[in-house]
Amino acid sequence: MSIEEYIDKADIEARKRALQVFRERFREILEQIKRGENPTIMLPKRTLANTIYDERRKLLLLGPEKLSRSFFDLHESKKFMQTLLMARIIYEALERNEYPTIRDLYYRGKHTIIYREPGGRKHEENTWDEQRESDSVIRDIEVFTGLLREEMLILSKEKGKVVGNMRIRSGGDVIDLSKMGHGAYAIEPTPDLIEFVDVDAEYVLVVEKDAVFQQLHRIGFWRKHKAILITSAGQPDRATRRFVRRLNEELGLPVYILTDADPYGWYIYSVFKIGSITLSYESERLATPNARFIGVSMTDIFGYKRKKPYLTEQERRNYIIKAKDADIKRAYELRNYKWFQTKKWKIEIDIFLERKAKLEIEALTSKGLRFLADKYLPEKIETGDWIE
Amino acid sequence: MSKVQEPLREKYRSMTPSQFFYEHRELAGFGSPSRALYQTIRELVENALDATDVYGIMPRIVIVVEKLEERQDFYRITVEDNGIGINPKYVPQAFGQVLFSSKYKLRQARGRFGLGAKMAILYGQIKTGKPVEVYTSPIGFTKIYYYKLKIDIERNKPIILSYAEHDNKTLWHGTRISVVIEGDWSRARSRVYEYIKRTAIATPYADIVFIDPEGNMITYWHSIEKLPRPPKEVKPHPHGVDIEQLKRLIRDVKAKTLIEFLVSAFQGVGKRTAEAFLKWAGLNPSLDPHRLNDSLLGELARKLREYPKFRPPSAESLSPFGPEIIEAGLRAILHPEFVVAVSRRPKAYEGHPFIIEVGIAYGGEIPLSNEPILLRYANKIPLLYDEKSDVAWKVIDPRSFNWKDYMVVFPAPVAVLTHIASTKVPYKGVGKESVADVPEIEHELRNALREAARKLRLYLLQKKREEEAKRRVITFVKYTPEVAKGLATILGDIDEKTVQEMLLSAMKRRLRLDDEEFAKLVQGLEVSIEE
Repeated sequence: MSIEEYIDKADIEARKRALQVFRERFREILEQIKRGENPTIMLPKRTLANTIYDERRKLLLLGPEKLSRSFFDLHESKKFMQTLLMARIIYEALERNEYPTIRDLYYRGKHTIIYREPGGRKHEENTWDEQRESDSVIRDIEVFTGLLREEMLILSKEKGKVVGNMRIRSGGDVIDLSKMGHGAYAIEPTPDLIEFVDVDAEYVLVVEKDAVFQQLHRIGFWRKHKAILITSAGQPDRATRRFVRRLNEELGLPVYILTDADPYGWYIYSVFKIGSITLSYESERLATPNARFIGVSMTDIFGYKRKKPYLTEQERRNYIIKAKDADIKRAYELRNYKWFQTKKWKIEIDIFLERKAKLEIEALTSKGLRFLADKYLPEKIETGDWIE
Repeated sequence: MSKVQEPLREKYRSMTPSQFFYEHRELAGFGSPSRALYQTIRELVENALDATDVYGIMPRIVIVVEKLEERQDFYRITVEDNGIGINPKYVPQAFGQVLFSSKYKLRQARGRFGLGAKMAILYGQIKTGKPVEVYTSPIGFTKIYYYKLKIDIERNKPIILSYAEHDNKTLWHGTRISVVIEGDWSRARSRVYEYIKRTAIATPYADIVFIDPEGNMITYWHSIEKLPRPPKEVKPHPHGVDIEQLKRLIRDVKAKTLIEFLVSAFQGVGKRTAEAFLKWAGLNPSLDPHRLNDSLLGELARKLREYPKFRPPSAESLSPFGPEIIEAGLRAILHPEFVVAVSRRPKAYEGHPFIIEVGIAYGGEIPLSNEPILLRYANKIPLLYDEKSDVAWKVIDPRSFNWKDYMVVFPAPVAVLTHIASTKVPYKGVGKESVADVPEIEHELRNALREAARKLRLYLLQKKREEEAKRRVITFVKYTPEVAKGLATILGDIDEKTVQEMLLSAMKRRLRLDDEEFAKLVQGLEVSIEE
């Protein structure tokens, strides 16, 4: 049996599509050269200044600014060469049915150019030195081809996990996410190749902390409350974001996000919801604009107007951590972002800045795992006590 | 001659010129044994050059300095040239009597009045008791004449110790002179070498051989065949005359009236000019010049200097190097990557014509330095001492001249040659080592430097452009293999080599280079990729 027969059809289709796009895009470059022009790659600028918040669609998107990277431009020449080099390596990997990681690509493209100048001095120069450089070239190729790395079958480390009453097909296998034991299904780097077979759930709960995810899993939270339980284990990777987006978009499941009560937790939520600044070109495919911030919110801790706090005076004394300068600074930054300028977020940020207090999700499990699973979360979802 | 001499000359009227000059030997550059050694070589070499290139002969000069057995600090200095030689009749006076010279006429020459060589003889004789020995044969003479001479200092007369005639079968012409002096080679060494090097820069048409007391020989062979234009002898210009000169002119010129005298003694003065001048000066044209008393002579000299309508002085008496010689000299000795030289048009100060020349050598073997290396010449003589007090330094000093405007940023590999050719170089002292700040000369130096520096700037600009073009080409060419391989692999229907060729032709078009220019830029460029 040849190795091809093990390979999933969806996978093969993806490769064909990516190869086709590569040929089309780079044909343009060759045409420029044929005409004797300066070969030029036009790319949207990936800078904060060229990142736009689309208020209607509630997404962080790349702005209209383009940069042209020309081979016969002294300062761009090397980047141009790197782009062609990376494109070739990815192309070859696609053709050979390989699944390189970004680290593989870094090593494959790290060549030494040896040249002897007229006059005899010998020089050596690497095509790139650090992975930071080759990673940046991968992002350039994503925006140039309009293909995300997942679509080019480039793998990254799996970080996100999922359990729930759901069956999926991946690489030809059907996997039952309710039969993972104490473990969980690692969300694969190419979530677009996953097919949803069937699902019996009412909502998706994404937990920032892996430890809290495991605790909720072990007490059967997802079974009892008909939830798909996911953790991003910190900052979400692209695969987790894409997976969550698909659950929301294709299955219509509401998505609730549970993070620490601090500016870093808030930002994790915003990455799920509207995208990240560094990868704003992928927002359209990765962001989940309907995602809701379930907590832990400042009003949960301190109460607000008629809302009663979930913690007692004594518990606050035990669990609250004093905010550090970096937290305060980050809060001020977030306050400047358009997408944090809603009424509810203003209240959150103001309370935080006033109290200079933050709290980890674990504080709620300390108060009692059952409290978190059977009171706090169901009550908040039922009463609509979330921020959008 | 400088002004300080006038009162001194009054005071020492009773001394013979020999006594007077010996008393003041430090003014002439014989103040110490090391300085005297350097000065002796210099005086003899300059006389040798004056006997050759001025007369259209390509100089071949041999300089030998030997240590004598008998005394550690006695040195014999021998200089031989292939010049016009000296008529044997005049040899005793030429070397044995101070103030006798063939150079009393007005034209640019390296030495004046032949004083320097006689100072060397005088100095040597007093310090070592040794006579001077001379071999000479003028052009076309069938004999070589030999003299051994001393100077009778008390009476300023030559004493002939020995005389001989030899057959001149090869029709050799020239002069070979040997003097023994008290010197200090170890201290003079670097100056002497520097002097000879700088002389060689100024005379790229000469062959110069130097053998030092340690037996080292250094040679500078000529790199061009062209000699500088020899100076013509001209009559003095009325603006440049003083009472002493006036007296000598009246004595030498056979004229019975003042008007006749003016017309025959001075350049650019015809009958009409002389009449107009005398009318302006209120002097009777029919006066006998021989009968003028000192006060009238003084009046005449002053009026001659002040009359504004004389024609400017003639520059025919001057012998500049010319740009070709300066460039050849700088190239041959300094091995720079670029040289440029300019000769300015003649100008005058106080009735003395002068020409300023400036050469700039850049890069190559010239070492980096925080200020320009200055090579000063006056009437083709290199000047080594007192550089920083010279007007030439004042002009090229980076604090006063904006080298940056000409793309020279220090430390830079740059040497500047300056030359003042004049019938009278305004030296700061009798030592003739630095030139005074005469405004006209300073102005001309600055203009000449700017003119030369502009050409240097053009060169540096061109070079910078070429380097940039080269840098571009190297950058693009070294990345071409990866780009070509990338496109060929992805597109599949075109091979790497074809893409490379297409890239190179697009590159040439982009950089506006034709095939030949492009080939020149990438000649020797090799690129390989290690995967």
